[in-house]
Amino acid sequence: MTSHLETTQSIMMSTSQSNRQDKTEINQNECTFLIIGGGIAGVSCAETINFLLPGEKIILLTESSLIKSVTNLVQLGKFSQRFDIQEIISKDFEKPNIKIITDELAIIKSKTKEAITKGGLKINYNLMCICTGSRPKLVNFSDNVKSYIIGIRDTDSVKEFQKRIKTSKRFGLIGNGGIASEIIYEIGNIEIEWIIKDQHISSTFIDQGAAKFFESRLNNKNSPNNKMIVKRMRYMEERETSESLKRGAALGPDWHRLIDMKGNLSSSPENIKVHYNAEVKSIGLCTDNNFPVCIELANDEKVFCDFVVSATGVEPFKTFNFENEVIKLSDDGGIFVDDLMKTSIDSIFAAGDVCHAGWEHSKYWHQMRLWTQARQMGMMAGKSMVAKLNNEEIYQDFCFELFSHVTKLYGYQVVLLGRYNGQGLEDDYELLFRITPDKEYIKFVLKNGCLVGALLIGETGLEETCENLILNQIDLTPFGDDILNPNIDIEDYFD
Amino acid sequence: MVVRKYEDELKYIERISDYSWRIKKGFQENMNVEGIFYVNKNLEALMFEELRNSCRSDGIGGFLPGMKQIANVAALPGIVGKSVGLPDIHSGYGFAIGNMAAFDMNNPLSIVSPGGVGFDINCGVRLLRTNLFEKDVRPVQEQLAQSLFDHIPVGVGSKGIIPMNARDLEEALEMGMDWSLREGYVWAEDKEHCEEYGRMLNADPSKVSVRAKKRGLPQLGTLGAGNHYAEIQVVDEIYDKWAASKMGIEETGQVCVMIHSGSRGFGHQVATDALVEMEKAMKRDKIETNDRQLACARINSEEGQNYLKAMAAAGNFAWVNRSSMTFLTRQAFAKQFNTTPDDLDMHVIYDVSHNIAKIENHVVDGKEMKLLVHRKGSTRAFPPHHPSIPVDYQLTGQPVLVGGTMGTCSYILTGTEKGLTETFGSTCHGAGRALSRAKSRRNIDYLDILEQMKTKNIAIRVASPKLVMEEAPESYKNVTDVVDTCHSAGISKKCVKLRPIAVIKG
Repeated sequence: MTSHLETTQSIMMSTSQSNRQDKTEINQNECTFLIIGGGIAGVSCAETINFLLPGEKIILLTESSLIKSVTNLVQLGKFSQRFDIQEIISKDFEKPNIKIITDELAIIKSKTKEAITKGGLKINYNLMCICTGSRPKLVNFSDNVKSYIIGIRDTDSVKEFQKRIKTSKRFGLIGNGGIASEIIYEIGNIEIEWIIKDQHISSTFIDQGAAKFFESRLNNKNSPNNKMIVKRMRYMEERETSESLKRGAALGPDWHRLIDMKGNLSSSPENIKVHYNAEVKSIGLCTDNNFPVCIELANDEKVFCDFVVSATGVEPFKTFNFENEVIKLSDDGGIFVDDLMKTSIDSIFAAGDVCHAGWEHSKYWHQMRLWTQARQMGMMAGKSMVAKLNNEEIYQDFCFELFSHVTKLYGYQVVLLGRYNGQGLEDDYELLFRITPDKEYIKFVLKNGCLVGALLIGETGLEETCENLILNQIDLTPFGDDILNPNIDIEDYFD
Repeated sequence: MVVRKYEDELKYIERISDYSWRIKKGFQENMNVEGIFYVNKNLEALMFEELRNSCRSDGIGGFLPGMKQIANVAALPGIVGKSVGLPDIHSGYGFAIGNMAAFDMNNPLSIVSPGGVGFDINCGVRLLRTNLFEKDVRPVQEQLAQSLFDHIPVGVGSKGIIPMNARDLEEALEMGMDWSLREGYVWAEDKEHCEEYGRMLNADPSKVSVRAKKRGLPQLGTLGAGNHYAEIQVVDEIYDKWAASKMGIEETGQVCVMIHSGSRGFGHQVATDALVEMEKAMKRDKIETNDRQLACARINSEEGQNYLKAMAAAGNFAWVNRSSMTFLTRQAFAKQFNTTPDDLDMHVIYDVSHNIAKIENHVVDGKEMKLLVHRKGSTRAFPPHHPSIPVDYQLTGQPVLVGGTMGTCSYILTGTEKGLTETFGSTCHGAGRALSRAKSRRNIDYLDILEQMKTKNIAIRVASPKLVMEEAPESYKNVTDVVDTCHSAGISKKCVKLRPIAVIKG
């Protein structure tokens, strides 16, 4: 048990800028696996391939810096694998089989298995995986207000956001998903006008009851804020030295962990105003007010602020074209993939936010464009591509059997499992609650006596039990409401 | 279930000693043997209060009191000796957690019941020692905890970072810790300090469903959530200096790492598959039980044998899982202290299984018998000189690791001769149940909101405690009460007390 201190490295070691002048190099851009995109999906895909087929040539084409997981695996030989954690990436170590090219994909010639980049580079591949992610759906605005609207997506936009909150008194926040909720909770010393289209906050994840549960936290953020320990996969960005990057990869979980999110209004009380059921009609400049921007809502109400944060969700990001071929897309613009992450075009796979999960879903899974699913899909695509190359038959990974996502909202742990909002159950289900104000909010979604989904807020300790109850489909009818009786440890009962 | 008035129920319960009570035949129908349970004054109050409450509710409600569960197990075919309730007994599926029972292998009617093993097959506790002291760890406690979180995936949906493919899994299921050793994840001496040397020899992966394998594969090397955890602990008190030193524990303040985990979703699927199979077998073989959750099959039936082989595979899965986490823990420590796990003396003190069924020989009424011993929420505790315990512990007796409720303290006990004769060499496994820890109540504010969530087909219900425990103390059933009872009753002996300084959990 020695040599745990070996220098370790991620698979993305070196980054070579595509070189337009040096034509001789172009022909060397041949690989077995071409992965487009350096976000969580793309990197997970590359890591998986490299584990299953060490040494096989992989090219990772990315127009941005790479996201990498903080925990790395180092394979030192068949019988001794070691892990180490490396927080500073060493750039001077290169894995010969993996090449990183910083450029943007322009055209895919699937018939001849060639990819052409914007920089004019031609890459020959055997199998390709598209992991180009998504971009924020920005609210509509006219050109003159463009500079007052920002989307939160990558490290650069977060930096921009940080800069603005330091010099502003009030900003408008449009959107009701995870990022909007995190901003609301994490930010201090600035006024926020929160514009949401729903009747309750954070509707992407939670129901009205849970929104009520959170309400007391909205203007009272005095909970101990433990930013020190992170339980989830940690990701970090590998920053490129060149500043020519157009955009960074999407933010991983816990993106705000080490970021100062305080405004400069330390004297004024923090103020969050929520506009429920509100729709943005227009955003314009105004001169007759203390604030430069005016958001006009559908009910003609006007909201004034220094700048606007648009956090209204994401849409698949795809700027390249196919030559003489049409790839099957879904209504939302996502690339249609089957259960093994294959697209409609032979030898082309897709994973992460850019794709649409086109297979017949398990009873307890649905697609959401979250980093957890990006990772799962990336790994699945990697496995699937290797299987295709080796002509092996494989099955879909078990993670697509049950939707599970853990996040943090308003300082509470939030666990979402299966059909946690009764999704797709057509109102034919029962809900069972246990609520302890300021402590826990537990919702069981039951169908035919079996658990099919759960929403767990707070330190409930029930997440593994719920996961197992959903997958086991044990009939809970005999227990009735007692299944959530706080005097019974169901996590022990089913252990 | 037999329902009587509380006073009438009490006629079947008789004190044996300061620390044990007898449950007489007739308390439940068809009892083949008597029941026994071990409690001290505090725990006794809880047991009786629970029975009283169940009498008040006329046996309605899904959860049976511990005494009734013990008695229902005593009614299973082929049971010998007594149905034993340990001090940490509390509600469980089929068997209560903390109920052990042994069945005669030579009786063709004897059964095996998945509810007597539990869903999390071979859930158990492993303790690693180090040569570090509290003062070495305190200054870097947070970095170390973060490092452990980075190495050991926790929580739902987490995937192991030790890469595995389907073929690796098949081998791991068959070989248990021999696989971990072959792959370089553990030290040879780790195996010596595990029950069964970390490998159930009768494991047969072909008796495990594809779904179980698919479900288990991504979870190897993950801790899970809920009641599973890893803790950095320090030695708080040493009761038996000589035995402790045999375990490499010399002084208070010494740092240890406890890992409490099992077979995760893999075990759950094996158990669930078996329950379905056994319901059919019960109809065919006309086996009747007092509780539908006590689904079982004759040991010698195909279903019984298939379950035992699949259970053994799940047992191996759990050992590989704990071994993977041992490996990751050693890496995290070595990295933090800039040395090697070897130099940190990070040996496995012991690894116990507290959800398992095993074939063992015991003397019952003066006769040696081959038994299938179900231990659910119960730890094997063999005395000194027993052939099944490792050389290093031949003189001390087998170490028993008792994890407290997370964040409280934990204990190391040792096995005793009295435990071998009274409880088939079994003792407690943990802290027991929680009581009213969440004061949830119907809340007017919420009822309004929840009402809005109703639609024509969606029924909304709110759970709340219907009966409040009146006499019982409000606190946890406390691990110290539990181990003190085992010690006083003589079924195991206190050796070391540990207290946590950092908790890793989902």
